[in-house]
Amino acid sequence: MTQPAVSAKRKPASPWKPPKPPKKLNNANAVLSLNGKWGYLFIAPFFFMFLLFGLAPIIYSIYIAFFNWDPLGTQDFIGLENFQLLMEDPDFWLAMSNTFEIWLLSTIPMLLMSIGLATILHRQYLKGSTFWRTILLVPNITSVLAVAIVFGQLFGRDFGMINIVIGSLGFPHIDFIEDSFASHVAIATMIVWRWAGYNALIFLAAMLAIPGELYESASLDGASKFKQFIYVTLPGLRNTITFVLIVGTIGGLQVFAEPLFLGSSFSGGDAGQFKTLTLYLFDRAFVGGQWGYAAAIGIMITVVVIFVSIINFFLTKRISSDSK
Amino acid sequence: MSIKKLSVKTLTLLVGASLAVGSLGGLSPAQAVVDCKNAKEDGNGCTVVSFAYFGDVLNMQLVNDYRKIHPEIKISEIKSPDLDTLNGQNLRTQCAAGGVGNPDIAAIEVSYSGYWRSYPQCFVDLATMRTTVGNKSATTIKKDYLAWRWDHGVAHNGKIIGIPTDVGGLEVAYRHDLFKIVGMPYKRDDVAKAWNTWDKFITFGKEYAQKSKLAKYKSAFTKAKSSPKGFMDNVGTIFAAYLNQGTEKYYKASNGLDGTLVYKTNPAIRKAFDLTLKADSNGIGTRIGQYSSDWNVGMQNGTFAVILSPAWMLDYIKAQAPDTEGKWDIATMPGGGGNQGGSQLSIPAGAKHKQEAWDFITWYLAPAQQLKMFEYTGGIFPSTKALYTNQALVGKPDPFFNNAYTGKIYADGIKNLKPIYEGKQQRCIDQEFGNALSLVINKKQKDVNKAYSGALTTIARKCK
Repeated sequence: MTQPAVSAKRKPASPWKPPKPPKKLNNANAVLSLNGKWGYLFIAPFFFMFLLFGLAPIIYSIYIAFFNWDPLGTQDFIGLENFQLLMEDPDFWLAMSNTFEIWLLSTIPMLLMSIGLATILHRQYLKGSTFWRTILLVPNITSVLAVAIVFGQLFGRDFGMINIVIGSLGFPHIDFIEDSFASHVAIATMIVWRWAGYNALIFLAAMLAIPGELYESASLDGASKFKQFIYVTLPGLRNTITFVLIVGTIGGLQVFAEPLFLGSSFSGGDAGQFKTLTLYLFDRAFVGGQWGYAAAIGIMITVVVIFVSIINFFLTKRISSDSK
Repeated sequence: MSIKKLSVKTLTLLVGASLAVGSLGGLSPAQAVVDCKNAKEDGNGCTVVSFAYFGDVLNMQLVNDYRKIHPEIKISEIKSPDLDTLNGQNLRTQCAAGGVGNPDIAAIEVSYSGYWRSYPQCFVDLATMRTTVGNKSATTIKKDYLAWRWDHGVAHNGKIIGIPTDVGGLEVAYRHDLFKIVGMPYKRDDVAKAWNTWDKFITFGKEYAQKSKLAKYKSAFTKAKSSPKGFMDNVGTIFAAYLNQGTEKYYKASNGLDGTLVYKTNPAIRKAFDLTLKADSNGIGTRIGQYSSDWNVGMQNGTFAVILSPAWMLDYIKAQAPDTEGKWDIATMPGGGGNQGGSQLSIPAGAKHKQEAWDFITWYLAPAQQLKMFEYTGGIFPSTKALYTNQALVGKPDPFFNNAYTGKIYADGIKNLKPIYEGKQQRCIDQEFGNALSLVINKKQKDVNKAYSGALTTIARKCK
């Protein structure tokens, strides 16, 4: 799962510094005049790369989705048959429901944890705050494979650490691979561990953007720390929460590495109990060699992401108009 | 401005001069002999031959040996995390892209050999290659190898695309000390006799599983640092073991074509399926997945006492459970030996150093080196049949396995094997039957017939 680092674009940068008076109008004009000629040249590298590695593969995969495409053998045009088969494919729908369940299990705890961590980091009297901020990113830059190995030790059925604890308390061991729900929890845990810190930093930036006067006047009015959090911090985070949700959704619908390493195969467990959409796509493309079918799955993932994003968009619109 | 420019120029000159002096100063008589140990690319008299593999197909000690006779060749290893990545993903995409990014040598596992035999265009026809020294071609070295292993590397159109590395072989690794505790046969010949059929194996296992739970043996097990949970690690391995003892799996050979699918009608498959489930319902397995962290620990803890073990797994057991040295032994598998795994080496069509690759392959897989491979790894078993009577292979006891003559046990089993035709979707079909078994074993599907017919439907849909 990948979450593009869009944070930089999104929120006003470093508002904790005193606002500067607008003065560099001349510079802005200079940039504007350049726009006409040189601007295109400057943005060209991005568009070139995008055309080559972004747009071209997308168009190509839409094209091959209409074929029975054996990469090394024959390629026959079959129209919409791939999509028709996909609609009747129980594995596809299983992958769909698994993906949404994992997404739900990971997003909500992650949101709560990120805001919680950000609140702690936001505390004025926290010692070594730079150290803590840095360390939050460590899970995010750790190789997923390493994460999976460590979590494999945690989630083992017989000798996993979690089950040793559960067993010593007198409860039966949980099979984190065979049991469908337990496996989703295991995957969600890996996702939360990986992304909670990253999102906490985004929330922290948003919290720092909330003017300090609001807190001051709140405390003058006698609001407790908790009430300040509910009535000052949370409303200030509204936009950031939607942002994290949208990015999290796009990433969450593409969860791949965690289920792959949990079962160490592309089938996502013997009953496909933790098969996700992207895992199924990969399985069909590189284990099954059915590239056309895999491309059709890819298109369906895109459709789902667009659909969910539209819902998100309207929700955001409503929330922000409510807050006015 | 000009001063700045000048200084930059001077600096460049200075740096250049010092570099030149440095490299001149470094010239010494020793450099006359090429050492390509750290070469990253061709040049300076070095040729870098890339070797893509998984697991332990490439042995670094042998690579060192090769460097001694060919210092100008650097074998650069590209290790894949698993065989699917190399055989399913990388080679396929590379071939689809016309050989771009191909390594010079690629290892292909037997379960994928059926697939690649349908696509000979992705590989060099090894019959056309000649070694620089000795003029050896694939056709002249063919006689050294087991015929049925050789066939795994022959494409359906007759092109030779791979030379066999090792033979899996399949026998039973067991904890003789634990068998002894519960008073069951523990000497390898007695054990092999006691379970000479699969049904007896299951009975044997059931007896062990029940006895090992008795209170009277508890202290003895604790003393042996063991906490038994079952007889064998995973009954799922019986399915492939039993099938591979037959003559036919999912395909029937059909001349020059991809083979005819017979998985729907071959009675052996259903028999293997039922046998596996019988083993499970008798409670002889611990249901621990192979290569999981639980498996690695269990090997050490006596959680299970038996593993169906291909020769290449012996090394893995030694590495994972060093404390159990001498407590393991090897007995013949029920039904008399089996096979699992083994690989072949191919030169992909897009390889840059075909000649050097062929020179290396013929050296690496020659009988002498295969014997060394067995010695270095204590398990990886040669596919060159002349060695099966060689004392260095069959006359050597392995102390880790209670001084069993591992070479002899595996060689005897391998001699019994009949060739099985490996078809294009072999691996896919294998996986689906495995999944169906797992469904029943994990009680997700109670109806065995439904699980079996479900597998057939899924195979028809997915494995094409």
